[in-house]
Amino acid sequence: MKFILNIQYKTLYVLLSLIIISCSKEDPEPINEEELITTVQLTFKAPGITDQIVRWQEGSNNSDAISLAANTQYEVGIIFLDESDPSDIEDITEEVKEEADEHQVFYEFSQLNIGLEQSSSDTLDSNQNPVYINSLWNTSEVGSGTVRVYLIHEPVTKSSSTRDGFAGETDVAVDFLITIE
Amino acid sequence: MPLKFFIFPLIFLLCFKSIQAQNCNLKISGIIKDLHDSSPIFGAVVRINGSDILTQTSEDGLYFFNQICPGKLIFVVEHSNCNSVQREVILSENTTLNFTLEHHINELEEIIISDNTLKSLKGSAKESRLNSDQINKYSSQGLADALNTLAGVSTLKTGNSVAKPMIHGMYGSRVGIVANGIRLQDQEWGADHAPTIDLNSFENIQLVKGASALKYGGDTPGGIIVLSPSKLILKDSLFGQTIINASENGRGGSISTKIMKTTSDGYYVSSQFSGKQFGDLLAPEYILSNTGVKQMNISLKLGRSKILSGWEVNYSRFQNEIGILRGAHIGNIQDLLRALKTDVPLRIDPFTYLINSPKQEGVHQNFHFTYFNQTSNKVKWQLDYNYQANTRKEFDIRRGIPASTPAIDLKLQTHNFLVNLKWKTKFSMDYEWGVNGILQDNYSNPNTGVKRLIPDYLRYQMGSYFLGAYSPSNSFSWDWGIRLDQNTWDVQKFYNVSDWEERDYAVLFPDFDVQQFGNKLLVNPKLNFLTLATQTGISIILGEQFSASLTYVLSQRSPNASELFSDGLHHSLATLEYGSLSLEKEISNKILLNFSKNKGRFKGTLEPYVSKISNYIFIGPTGIEQTIRGAFPVWQYDTTNASFWGVDAGVDYTFSEQFTFDINASYTYAQDLINREPLISIPPFNSSQILKYTSPKKKFDLELVNHFVSFQNRFPEMNFTVNTLQDGLIIEELVDISTPPSAYQSIDFNFSLYFNLIKQSTSSISFIVNNITQTKYRDYLNRMRFYADDIGRNFQLQFIFSY
Repeated sequence: MKFILNIQYKTLYVLLSLIIISCSKEDPEPINEEELITTVQLTFKAPGITDQIVRWQEGSNNSDAISLAANTQYEVGIIFLDESDPSDIEDITEEVKEEADEHQVFYEFSQLNIGLEQSSSDTLDSNQNPVYINSLWNTSEVGSGTVRVYLIHEPVTKSSSTRDGFAGETDVAVDFLITIE
Repeated sequence: MPLKFFIFPLIFLLCFKSIQAQNCNLKISGIIKDLHDSSPIFGAVVRINGSDILTQTSEDGLYFFNQICPGKLIFVVEHSNCNSVQREVILSENTTLNFTLEHHINELEEIIISDNTLKSLKGSAKESRLNSDQINKYSSQGLADALNTLAGVSTLKTGNSVAKPMIHGMYGSRVGIVANGIRLQDQEWGADHAPTIDLNSFENIQLVKGASALKYGGDTPGGIIVLSPSKLILKDSLFGQTIINASENGRGGSISTKIMKTTSDGYYVSSQFSGKQFGDLLAPEYILSNTGVKQMNISLKLGRSKILSGWEVNYSRFQNEIGILRGAHIGNIQDLLRALKTDVPLRIDPFTYLINSPKQEGVHQNFHFTYFNQTSNKVKWQLDYNYQANTRKEFDIRRGIPASTPAIDLKLQTHNFLVNLKWKTKFSMDYEWGVNGILQDNYSNPNTGVKRLIPDYLRYQMGSYFLGAYSPSNSFSWDWGIRLDQNTWDVQKFYNVSDWEERDYAVLFPDFDVQQFGNKLLVNPKLNFLTLATQTGISIILGEQFSASLTYVLSQRSPNASELFSDGLHHSLATLEYGSLSLEKEISNKILLNFSKNKGRFKGTLEPYVSKISNYIFIGPTGIEQTIRGAFPVWQYDTTNASFWGVDAGVDYTFSEQFTFDINASYTYAQDLINREPLISIPPFNSSQILKYTSPKKKFDLELVNHFVSFQNRFPEMNFTVNTLQDGLIIEELVDISTPPSAYQSIDFNFSLYFNLIKQSTSSISFIVNNITQTKYRDYLNRMRFYADDIGRNFQLQFIFSY
């Protein structure tokens, strides 16, 4: 019996100390959300035309419209940013470039005839496939429509002409309106 | 003692006897059970004092007398391992007399106070149970799979390895799991959290439908699953069991071994180990990539049990790693639509044992100390302390972050104290009173780099219960219970400033402390819930073959952590799920009936139930949120009023000693009374039929099982649309996540050969085939049904060695 009582006291002591430990709870730290992409920014460059920058920013719920000239070749660059903390803006594009094999940028156009081409300044993955971080857009006739910009994570294939063909998970899918004049 | 005290009853008895003497044809029968776990006791001697009439119980614990004369008789039940029990009975008609025996130690002769209260509480709300043979069969699977064989229990799955038991259409916090007398605290709120408990360390599983086991909590309107370890044999012995399973599907297997040493002076020590590993499972037509599983458990137990007092220290550790189907990881609803449109998962890799992201890792540790003391032969008290530490990590496919960093990393610690007092009075009344204190601490690791799904919190619960049982005769019992719990939450949670304002929380909860960090608020919600539970039931035995019971249960449940605080993206369905601080307690009223025919060639049970729940907490779509991944449906926890009814039925027909045929079926109806639509994820009508052949002398048996699951035609519509681009045009497409899959049928086969490796211990070899016909099906209650077929045929070999 003494033995048992001894055990009980000891357990009680352990219990009490456990409770005291668990009761003194500290304030939780704010989490630095690491993979967050809040902003997609496209830059359009063409000879003789002023550079155009459009942004889609989370929370603002509307994107800038893109206006392009007909029958022109544009060099289009895309960057992904984490602007959740305005004092510490992070460029996620670097991570995408580093993991080029696991990523694919893709543009899908509606009601527009824009030819998409590989750019010589683009990042290539280990199989020499373009990631389309930099790409060439060839406009033709006048019109208006939408472009949907995708960042695809772990696509099943790196060469497809449709979003469905790539499979994988969608990390970014945002729409911009385009007018071609 | 004065002589007249003897003579009077004697004369009375003689008179009585002489009047009725011509009618000596009464039949007396009954069952002898173990007091601790209600298992039948084989080989107990039942005799009538003062005569040479005696019989022995069968393997099922049954005994039978016929040609007994009416009058006052004293029945004595004896067994070599137990204290004998005597009961005086006045007989005038055919009677059923059941006894419970307590295993004893030689030097002590006091009779222990019986566990009747608890047992009859379970008795009135009809319980179903699984014995060790049935549990062994599911050794390589989980608790939910084993329970699924009982009528009224379904399984809510996420793939094949994450399975939660569902009772009467309820799961998670509405179903309690009790192991060694303490509620399992394993973040049961999540639909994709399987109970972190190893089936192999238990020998008896009871299912209590309704919430009538108030000792374990009054907040489970679905029911309670009680797992008990093996019973003690208080003599010098050493025994064990090893189960080995090998499966073709998944190219894996499991091993489980346990060993127990007992001594005649009451000491016992036991240990158990089990492990399993499976690679990718196979659907009939393809590999289910990344569905492997690894699991390892140990448990150790040391204790001493004397009749009047005893103690036990118990430690167990459960660890698993479960792969989640790779093709089910999606980024947005367009991805979901793509998955829904194809018959085959979007990603199929070659077979592997490797488990990659997405996956879950869980560790559950359980420490338990218990002490009981019987201060007189009428009073027994018990003290329990239990500590559980549950860690859960979920790994997602992520960018720029090592694969070893989890996206969810939670540690839930729970301290549980229980003091229980049982006493017996005259008038066949038993009482039980207890106090239960719970302290729970949840810690959400900030190093995940992902917003906390469940915040840090402390939860204090203090509960007290009072139970009673009145059983004046063997054919009638009445029981009742009441339980009161106070639940206090002390939470520290970050909210986005915009969310906090949008939901009006600043106005609704002005007293909560708030601290601002950039665009985030650290809020300290303090919530209180007082819940009451009551239950009462009667059970009667009607004649030789029939019994019936009626139970009413009121249960109240305070919202769980997920319902209150969920905050973020749910990857498996591409939904944003939000909890609500405004939720109030859920109140359920339930009536259960049971009719049974327990004897004869044709046996059966019919269990209808009906319940009404006010403030029923559910999650449903409320809108669309625009994110950088496109539009996401927003699901928000809310309350409604709901009604449930259903019937569980079982029929058992014995053609001959060799052939038996069983049918189990259950139906559940659940309706949202405010929104006037069916509730989501309610099991459709399902039935299983079992044809069994047992060879003479039980050398082997053959079993053919047919499962049928019908189409669930009652479902709420939760569909939404997504804009996709096709051939240069924007098209609005419907994402149908509501329509349940078609009905299906699958057939299992089982052949078992029995032999004795050593005396008195039966070992067996079984050959099992599941889904013989390679039926291609998807189950409404499997959340992976959007992405892939359920698993195909599996050949399994099982060896059970008892020694």
